Amino acid sequence: MSKNGTVEQRYLPEISRKEMDELKNTVKIASQKIIADNIERMKRADPHRPEAMKYFDDIANLFGRRQQEIQAEKEKGKKVIGYMCLFAPTELILAADAIPVRVNSGWYDTSKLGDRVVPVEVCPVIRSTIGAKMIELSPFLEQSDALISVLTCDGMTKLSEILSDQQTIWGMNVPRIKDSTQSLRFWSDEIKHMKTQIESFTGNKITRKNLNEAITQSHRATKAFRRLQNLRRTNPVIMGRDAMLVNQAYTWDDTKRWTEKTELLCDELEKRAQQKDWVCSPDTPRVMITGTPMFWPDNWKLPTLVEEGNPQGIIVADEQCSGERILNDPIGVDEWSMDDMLNAISERYLMASTCPCFTSKNGNEDRINWLINKAKEWNVQGVVYYVVRGCMLYAMEYSRVKKALDKINVPVYYLDTEYTREDVGQLKTRVEAFMELLNARVDF
Amino acid sequence: MDLGTQRVKAVVLKDDVVVGRGQMFAGFDPAKATEQAVNDALKAANLSLLDVNHFTATGSAMDLAPHANNTVSMMGADAKAGVFLIPQARTVIDIGAEEARAVKCDARGLMMEFVVNERCAAGAGAFIEAMARALEVKLDDMGLLALKAERASPINASCVIFGESDVVSLIHRQESKPEIARAVFDAMADRISSMIHRLGINPEVVLVGGVAKDPGFVASLNRKLDLAVQIPEYPEYAGALGAALIAATRAKGASK
Repeated sequence: MSKNGTVEQRYLPEISRKEMDELKNTVKIASQKIIADNIERMKRADPHRPEAMKYFDDIANLFGRRQQEIQAEKEKGKKVIGYMCLFAPTELILAADAIPVRVNSGWYDTSKLGDRVVPVEVCPVIRSTIGAKMIELSPFLEQSDALISVLTCDGMTKLSEILSDQQTIWGMNVPRIKDSTQSLRFWSDEIKHMKTQIESFTGNKITRKNLNEAITQSHRATKAFRRLQNLRRTNPVIMGRDAMLVNQAYTWDDTKRWTEKTELLCDELEKRAQQKDWVCSPDTPRVMITGTPMFWPDNWKLPTLVEEGNPQGIIVADEQCSGERILNDPIGVDEWSMDDMLNAISERYLMASTCPCFTSKNGNEDRINWLINKAKEWNVQGVVYYVVRGCMLYAMEYSRVKKALDKINVPVYYLDTEYTREDVGQLKTRVEAFMELLNARVDF
Repeated sequence: MDLGTQRVKAVVLKDDVVVGRGQMFAGFDPAKATEQAVNDALKAANLSLLDVNHFTATGSAMDLAPHANNTVSMMGADAKAGVFLIPQARTVIDIGAEEARAVKCDARGLMMEFVVNERCAAGAGAFIEAMARALEVKLDDMGLLALKAERASPINASCVIFGESDVVSLIHRQESKPEIARAVFDAMADRISSMIHRLGINPEVVLVGGVAKDPGFVASLNRKLDLAVQIPEYPEYAGALGAALIAATRAKGASK
């Protein structure tokens, strides 16, 4: 305890309440404008935008309805458990009647604040999350009663330490060699420990019944999620940005409601497909994005450039933990005993992940396989490999991914950027040249 | 029309032959400068604006181009022009004032793959300009000076500013001007070569853009890549030529 009675901060600088409020207001106003602008552009991109997207446009406002709902639940005594990486077992949170919410920051402006704590070489996702914490910008981060931090990359590891200045952090140690004999056992123990931790924190016992319900709910969500991605396999009925927003909204929305709304969206899209009402010309180059996660709202520049480019492209798939990796893999339960369910959860979160923080006997071959299968089955014509500066693991896997994609004759373009709006002009040149290249391959 | 960061260039193409060229400093009003460059090029060709069937623009300010019927990326224009000028060309390197690019292309002049230098201008013409200032020599003399060097002294070209302080420390070590000039080109060639190696070298390699006119840089690049890059006539007009070739294709397509 320091003189004024507050807990001493090991990392975060002291900021006066006045400065904090000023900064928070400025960034919040800018952010609301960006959210509205992104949605406006998404609407313009599709003149017959599905009715069901209205719901997701609304839920996309990070300072809106969902924040208020969570607040109301908190006041009734519910706990909110935030998480940074997709390895956090959200089914355990749901089973304990708590609210899971992902808290990585997609705000560009706060990354500059993060520079006061860590050097600019650090990945901007981390710097921006630190900055958001400094000015209490992120509704979901602020509402979290505890944070699950899975120690995946170096950035995440130290981020949890920095955030622990102000929040309760539960670290989860993830084994880096996926197929070693110890790994799954080790990770299962982490999952079991997390179960106990969640139980004692929420005061709610995780029973066979409520865990079964949570997993079943998660199965329903996965089904809706996969249905949406499957609708992107053939001629385009939904813009990539719309689908990406729906996918990502899962990480802060109410699970049940998200599932219902996504099913409704898919119903509409199916009709569109029957009527051959394509969202853009079927000749439009079909693009897949892979690499660093892209968090709403600011970090929407690459998808916007692809889909508003001249020539235009359409994003039909991605391999990102902010996108299709969220719900792609169901939890494989056989017997529904407590042990079986916990093991199934452990396996789902560890073995199905294609995160480059892992290696195995054959490196991160799971990611290569995902990309190749996706490229083939979704008829992908080009891949944009997206990396923010400081994101070492993704940057380092590029050479292998490129070689693998070369073999199946799918061009890939490496696009590096930062949490900044200033490089949009340069990125536009590159993205449009890549679309031109993809078009030329189709023409001849 | 090629609206580059420093200069704008225009090329008039008639029956697949270049009949006029013009260039201007882009300055504060690139559209006006382009208008002037186009007029100069047409004048050289004894033609007027009314004679032009199709205008295509490229370059970082292509969206500002006057008259433009369509645009093409700089990489697409490079590939077209490279193969038109040197039919065996399969890799085209374009180094301008602020940007360096390398494009792999096929026999039709279609780009297959490309890379662009990172945000910093250390791999581009602006780097030579800054270093010439530090050495107090004219930009045009840098290349000839470097060719006189007897040995190389390494500097770091990770960034223009740090590169300049490296040059200053060479001055303090009382290295000769030719050696420092060569160090500048070697450092640039180093960056360009790692960029090209990321892409994979596909012979023949053609070098275009304003920097292709600098013998000092060309010597360093050839040494670094261990090959003889080909340099067409008027390399700085390659972007504009590529755009003109696209324009010609479009014009032919329209008249069919």
